[in-house]
Parts: sequence; structure tokens; C-alpha cells
Amino acid sequence: MAMVSLHDVAFGYDERLVLRRISFDLEDGDFIGIVGPNASGKSTLIDLIDGILRPVSGDVLVNGVPTRKYRRRDMAKEVALVPQHFDLDFDLAVREVVEMGSYCRGKDVGSCGDAEQTLARLGVADLAGRRFSELSGGEKQLVVLAQALMQQAQVLLLDEPASALDVSHQLRLFDLLRQLNGDGLTVLCILHDLNLAIHYFDKLLVLSGGEVAAYGPPEEVLRPEIVEAVYGVRAYLHRHAGRTFLTFSPRLRGERLGRVHLVCGGGTGSGLMRELVDAGYDVSAGVLNALDTDEATGQELGLPMAVEAPFSPVGDEAHGENLALMRAADLVIVTAVPVSHGNARNIAAAVEAASTGTPVWAARGVLDGDFAGVTGELDPAGARYFAGDEEMLTALRERGAPAAAAPPAARTADPGA
Amino acid sequence: MTRLARTNPWSGIALAAGIFVTCLLLALAFGPASLSLGQIWRQATTGPAQGDLANAIFWQIRLPRVLLACLVGAELAVAGVILQDLFLNPLTDPYVTGVSSGAALGATVGIVLHLAQLPWITVLALIGGFVTVGVVWMAARRRGRIDVFVLLLAGVTISYLASAVVTVLMIRAGQDMHAIVYWLMGSFSGRGWTEVEIALIAVPFMIVPLFFAKEMDILLQGEKRALELGVEVERTKRVLLVTAGLLTAIAVSVCGIIGFVGLVVPHIVRLLVGPGHCRLLPVSLLVGASMLCVADLLSRTVIAPNEIPVGVVTTFVGAPLFVYLLRRGRKI
Repeated sequence: MAMVSLHDVAFGYDERLVLRRISFDLEDGDFIGIVGPNASGKSTLIDLIDGILRPVSGDVLVNGVPTRKYRRRDMAKEVALVPQHFDLDFDLAVREVVEMGSYCRGKDVGSCGDAEQTLARLGVADLAGRRFSELSGGEKQLVVLAQALMQQAQVLLLDEPASALDVSHQLRLFDLLRQLNGDGLTVLCILHDLNLAIHYFDKLLVLSGGEVAAYGPPEEVLRPEIVEAVYGVRAYLHRHAGRTFLTFSPRLRGERLGRVHLVCGGGTGSGLMRELVDAGYDVSAGVLNALDTDEATGQELGLPMAVEAPFSPVGDEAHGENLALMRAADLVIVTAVPVSHGNARNIAAAVEAASTGTPVWAARGVLDGDFAGVTGELDPAGARYFAGDEEMLTALRERGAPAAAAPPAARTADPGA
Repeated sequence: MTRLARTNPWSGIALAAGIFVTCLLLALAFGPASLSLGQIWRQATTGPAQGDLANAIFWQIRLPRVLLACLVGAELAVAGVILQDLFLNPLTDPYVTGVSSGAALGATVGIVLHLAQLPWITVLALIGGFVTVGVVWMAARRRGRIDVFVLLLAGVTISYLASAVVTVLMIRAGQDMHAIVYWLMGSFSGRGWTEVEIALIAVPFMIVPLFFAKEMDILLQGEKRALELGVEVERTKRVLLVTAGLLTAIAVSVCGIIGFVGLVVPHIVRLLVGPGHCRLLPVSLLVGASMLCVADLLSRTVIAPNEIPVGVVTTFVGAPLFVYLLRRGRKI
């Protein structure tokens, strides 16, 4: 039997539902994180499990019994909660604060019911004699955790326990929680840091707008498209030194700045890709060889790309895809990529795009690395030249929306200058 | 002393009890006619007797008055502890619940109606206080919960309302106005065994909070945290708020409105023994009794044969002491 089980639970204040259709089970020994944007109902969910709030519909069962049937003291023996905000303006000793946790146990203080021992278990035995009001934020957090452990409940719920902690205290806290979980405690923890969530938790529950958006192992649940749908930011999944982590950049909702196609390779386009994506442009690229640095960046950013096999010259199929991507673009940018026979068709494609009226901007450096003698065609086709990425980005900002795009004839730079 | 009182729970209580006995003896000994310790002992052991002036002073005048001061001091101090810690507000005193104003209204009605015998005024004051507890209670009740914030606001509102009615009655009262003002200022003069008996009703209510000492400790962390730790918060609040209301109503009905004790005694005691209620409650009870007992002693001796209103004395004694303790830099 699941320790905690929610069946189609809904909860709301007055008319407005805060949680809807929540169903999930917490099994003995689980170590589960809850993530989700602010106001997605995370704290409400753990208050429901602790029986402090009652569901409007559906059932919240703790050990098979609906929470409404529990007396508070009996509930405290089953479920302990570490709150997000905790303050105590009174001058109590840490020992007294920790001992309050054993209230639900009454006189029958169990085997590990000693405040000193509980603090020692968390590695802070020296705090026992101090005054609670004199402690640092991190120390207070551990004392509150000790207080909750004094309840000797099987289930521990935590509401953003790490939000006030620096990075070393955060790691220490989650290591401790893992350790407590290893000792048999079932843990359900709200947290905001998705990378800590990936790193520490067995399973994650993603809440969004009061509903479960995803539930499962972190790497399945925190896929970029889910993060993007839930948080409304762009997320990029990286793998580094055997670990997976996410980075984020803001997404400008609603405003379409236009589509830029990059002709690049060998890392000459990676910087621009990120800058353009962050600035809110739709970006495509091609043709790139698989495993190329720019190709890897494009993969991370989830860009549409025309890709050729590693170390192979651009074939017909990839070239066709590339032309299609360019046709969809409002602007084609040629970076200072070295041009050889292998990728000469990309320049030809850019020239073709220019001839159909799509503006083509090129980094002047492309002329210097031309081993195929094809870049000369860019100038007559109407390409505009720039000294580097910065200059291009500045020009893009000035250019504004695609409607205000400069006509191909408006070239100002002279390749000979 | 502070350190000792904090480390050993009984030392603080023992010390407070010692102070209380000293104050009690001083208050019994001094007055317009002073009694020696030996005389006090003799009178106390022989019991009330006819025809002996010293005996009459002791049994008819001084003992009831001193006992009443002690009881009222203890009641107000305990009510103060309860309300400050339930409201988590250091400025709270027993009178913010409006109970005192309700009681004052009851007493004023009694005076205006010339129910000259004091017990009647006392009974009306008691009824006024109890009715106010009920009204404030109903106002603060929402879906089976007591909202302490609403309770505070309702209390203050009722307090103003009752005071306004008292003012109207005073304007209409003519020569009774003096009696009303004197009652409102609070005094133990002329009180006897009847008032002591009424005040004794409150003794069980002074003991009730001791059974909730742990719950009150936990409630210092706020109501939600108390729920999480397993406290039946609503039941605890119900019992404690009614207890505080009744204590205040009883205290005010026998002696009028005596300020500062209920506000300042809990603070002073918290500074000395800490906020834990298993010490704070009994020590506050004893310190409240001692403080009002001494204040009454001063009020009737300093400018004898006239009296200073006892509320003035409590303020004069309590304020400097409180400021001194605050200056020593402990947190309230």
C-alpha cells in the first residue's frame, strides 16, 4: 500500500481551483522532487498531504486513511513537514525549539527522540545550547529539519528547504536528505533549482498551472520542450563529465523577430547562434557536418539544420534542405567560415538566396578563408559585408522587425576597402 | 539570576515565590496602622474575633484588600501572557479584547441606576465583561475557526463602542460622575470579602493555561506550524481565549481598570526566565500578584490618609523597571 496516495484531487480557494486532477502515489522509500513555476500549487499540494488543507474533491490518503479522519497529533506522527518560511521572534534555545517536534509523541518519546542526537545526526550537535534567534539562515534551516525529524514520521515533506541557502549549504542539505532517505525516510521535496532536482532526485513531479505536467525520472521529465512549455523559457540540455545539466535563456513570447539562416561551420557560428536565439530570433543553419562544433551547438539549441555526414562534402539532399531553410528565412548570414570544395555549395546557396531577394549578410573574414574561389560571387549578388558578429548584431537591432528589412541593393560596404 | 532562572526551571519559580511572600507580608504589615510580623502571625492564627481593633483591621480591612490585589495582579498577568502569545503581538494587554470596556459599561450602568451596594456594581461589571467576550467571539468566528486578527479588531471596536456609551452615561450622570471616574481609574479601597470571593472564581482559570504550556510554546511559531507539529490549534485557541477573557472580566469587575500590569509583567518575566510557558506562566502569576500587591501598598501609604490610584502606581513603578530591562538589550 502506498504511504501517501492522491486520487483525482482538486483543491481551490472559493471558486478558483488551485489544483486539478492530481493523482499520484508516494511509496515507502521514495525520494521525489516537486518542481514547477511559482503559483503552480506546489505548497498547496504538500499542505493537502499533511491534512492542513482538505481537498474540494478526490481523496488524499495517508496509510490508506483519508487525511480528514486524522487528529492533528496522529497526522504529525505519520507526516512531518519542513515549512518554507519559519520564524520565531522569541528568545528560545535551539534545544527547546527542536524538542517541540516531539510534541506529537507525547510522553512516549521513541528510540531517537533526543534533541541532541537529532542535531548530531544532521552534523550540528554544537548548536544545541545556542539561542535560535542568533543562528544564521542555514543553521535555522537545519534546526527546523531537526524539529521535523523529532516527529519520527515516515514521510518527510519539504517546502523549498534550499531557497535561503548558499550553494555549499544547499548541497549539504540535499546530501543529508539522501542520507535520511537511505535510512528509510520517504521524502517529497519542493525545490526551484532544476539542476539540483536532476542531480539528487529519483523522480520528479512537474506541476504547472495546478496540474501534473510530467512525472518520472528527471531526465525524462525535464526535457527542454517540457521545461519550455511549463516555464516559458528556452532550456538547453548539456552533458558534461558524465552529468546532465540545464541552462536557460528567456524566450520572448508572442513577438516574432524573424528567421535568420546561418551559413557557418567549425565553430564560426556558435556565438551568433546563441546570441540570435537569446535575442528572440528563429534560427536555422546549414549545411553543417555532423559532429561539427556549430552542429553540436545547434543541437543543444534545438535548431532546424541541414546536416551532412561527418567529413563529407555537401550532397544533393542536404543542399536541397539547405535551400528550403534559406527560402523560409528573412535573412541569410554567412560567417567567416573557411570555404573549401566540401562546403562551396553553401556559398552557392547563399548567392541563390540573394538572387531571389533574401538579404545576405557576410562576415568579411569569409573572403580570406576561401580555398574554393567561390566567395567572389557574393558581392555581385548583393551581399552586405560586416567586420564581425558584433557589428552584425548591432545592425540587426537597428534593422528591427523583418518588415523593415533593408533591400538587397542597399549595400554600403566595399569589399576592397 | 537570569542564567540561573533559565537553566533550572524550578529556581525561577522558587525565586518568584519568595518575592511574592515578601511582598505579601510587607503589604499586610504596613498601612495607616502598622502591624509587626508577630502581630500578623497572631491575628492570622487566632482568626476573626469581635471587639479587637487590630484584629478588625487585619481581618476586615487589610487581608481582603491585599488578597484581592494579589488575585487581580495574578489574573491580569496570566491573561496578558495568553493574549500576547496568541496574538504574537508584544503590545497586547488584557484590555484589547474589549472585555474591560464592557465591564466598565456594566459598572457604569450600576452606578447610574444607584445600585449603591458594591456587589451589584461588581456583578453588572462581570456581566458586561462576559457579554463582551461572547460578542467578540462571535465576530471572530469564521467557518469554525477563530481568526485572532479579527478578534483583535473586534475587541478594539467593541472597546471604543462601550467607552462611547460610558461617556454618554457620564454626561447624563450628574453627581454620579465622580463615582464613575473613580471606578474607571481602578482601586482596591473599600473592597472586602465579597470581592475576594468573586476574584477567587478565577483561580481555576489561572491553572488551565498551565496544561497548555507546551501548546503555547509551539504556537509561538505561528498557527500553521503548530498544526504541522500536531497541535489542535483551534481547540487550544478556544480554551485559552475564553480563559483570558474570563480572567480579565473577573479582575476588572472587582477593582476597575488597572493598567500596565497585564502588559508589562509578561514582558518583564519573559526577559528574566525566557519565553517557555512552563516557567513564564507560573512566574508571571507570582510576579503579577507581587507587583499589584506592592503597588496597592504604595497607593495607600505614600500620601496617607489619601490614596493614589493604584493604576498610577503600577505605571510609575513598572515603566522605569521595564525600560531598564529593555535597555539591557534582551529581546522581548
